[in-house]
Amino acid sequence: MMTCSTSHRLKMRADKSLLRQKFLKKWVKLLQLYTSSEKLATVIERKKLIELSADVALASARGGTTRWSRALIASAFKDSHDKTPCCANGGERTLHESITRKITSKKVLQRIRGGASKEAQASSSNRIPASSIAKRLVKKRTKLLKKIVPGGESMDNVSLISETLDYIISLRAQIDVMRSLVYLSGHLDA
Amino acid sequence: MELPARSNEIALEYFQFHDEIRRLMAPPTENASSFTALLELPHSSAVELLHLPEPFKYSAVASSGSLKPYFQHLGAGGMCFSANSAPVERASTFAVETDASSHKVKDEPQAETTESDSNPIISLSQPLLSDFDKEDKGQMPGKRKDREKKAKGSAKKSKNQSSGDAEELPYVHVRARRGEATDRHSLAERARREKINARMKLLRELVPGCNKISGTALVLDEIINHVQTLQRQVELLSMRLAAETPRMDVNLDSIFTTESASLVDQSFSNMVYPLPCSDPQPNIPRQYQQYPWHLNPLQHPMWVREELKNNPITSKNSHMSDDSPANPAAMHSRAMEKDRAMKIE
Repeated sequence: MMTCSTSHRLKMRADKSLLRQKFLKKWVKLLQLYTSSEKLATVIERKKLIELSADVALASARGGTTRWSRALIASAFKDSHDKTPCCANGGERTLHESITRKITSKKVLQRIRGGASKEAQASSSNRIPASSIAKRLVKKRTKLLKKIVPGGESMDNVSLISETLDYIISLRAQIDVMRSLVYLSGHLDA
Repeated sequence: MELPARSNEIALEYFQFHDEIRRLMAPPTENASSFTALLELPHSSAVELLHLPEPFKYSAVASSGSLKPYFQHLGAGGMCFSANSAPVERASTFAVETDASSHKVKDEPQAETTESDSNPIISLSQPLLSDFDKEDKGQMPGKRKDREKKAKGSAKKSKNQSSGDAEELPYVHVRARRGEATDRHSLAERARREKINARMKLLRELVPGCNKISGTALVLDEIINHVQTLQRQVELLSMRLAAETPRMDVNLDSIFTTESASLVDQSFSNMVYPLPCSDPQPNIPRQYQQYPWHLNPLQHPMWVREELKNNPITSKNSHMSDDSPANPAAMHSRAMEKDRAMKIE
């Protein structure tokens, strides 16, 4: 058993590094693409570009498998279409289009299913009114969490938790890579 | 008439074996922490990770008792033990998890369950995962309820062996204890609750500081806090990067990316979250020193030369002067990368 767990841990580490490398490559590609435009004079503009490209790269590093990544790409494209209409990132765009189609159909289905399950929940919870305060707190927190996790609005609790898991891991990978870049650029400047 | 009497003793037997099984299955619950890795793996290999160690345990347990002829191995996480022939049929109906085997079991409820599961483990589980991916929730409860109807009695289902498994299966097997409601709604609710609890467990392991806290609301608080912290860190780091790269012309060299990526691994594999983002620099040199086999004096200057060549800010001189030392450095760095990759594997 111990060998199993250690091998799992090693595989975990390998996967983490895989994620980081994927993210870094995509991010650098995106940065190269976007730095062709001229509005990079101010720090704020650059920061926005960096952050946007980092988010999109992170989301695309997960592919279309997780909902938060799809929602993140969708929102990023919504924003960027206002600012840089010439962002001809072909791969991202096709991914985004196929995803939006999936999202709209899925959202409709989910609303139907979500409505049905809510009814079942309400009927059963009326039987047990004891822990209502705790439930209210939990509901508040889940609402907050839904706002924070991209695309969390249209998720039921179960998938919300797994999406949060995935999102946290990816965020950590992103932070690792960005932090090391900062260190490298600072270290080499001196 | 005889069924209700039997059901009690069978429930008792299930309990005994359940405890034994739980003891045996305790080690693989470590896999729950690696579920986070499974999230990143492609599904087939995730399934392999989950299922390969199991058959050995099951056979050990089966051979221990006298139940070997009635033991039916279910591949992806359900187990049924039964001592008498009568409930064996019911057990066999519950033993179903996939479409492939479901037809067989439905057609032969009186068949001897001595035949072991025909499908190999991995091929069983892969269609499961694809089903789960499509989120075909409409279909699954229907099938599960069919099985329940066939039971004609108390709902005896076997428990999942690990929380990691529960995530991948479309069927969540819920154990109905004595005295608990066994109607469809409460079973479904209990299944859902167990799912949520399993995932909350994983989240708690991931988010630091959640293990001591009891209660869902406070744990959720911590999780929200953590996610917000991470997002803020991303913002701060991007601001820093923006401040430090006035020209933003990043020279993409595959060597550069692999080098810095592997550097990232080594620098940050020991980092504990959350770290204050203010000044990560004192941490990093220390961690560099932990990996002397990467940063011995011979290699380090070559890597620095690589960086200098690629970094647009510092390389004010032309790149041409660095060409000849760059290539052997490139080859050497690639060899190092392969070495590191092999060591990780």
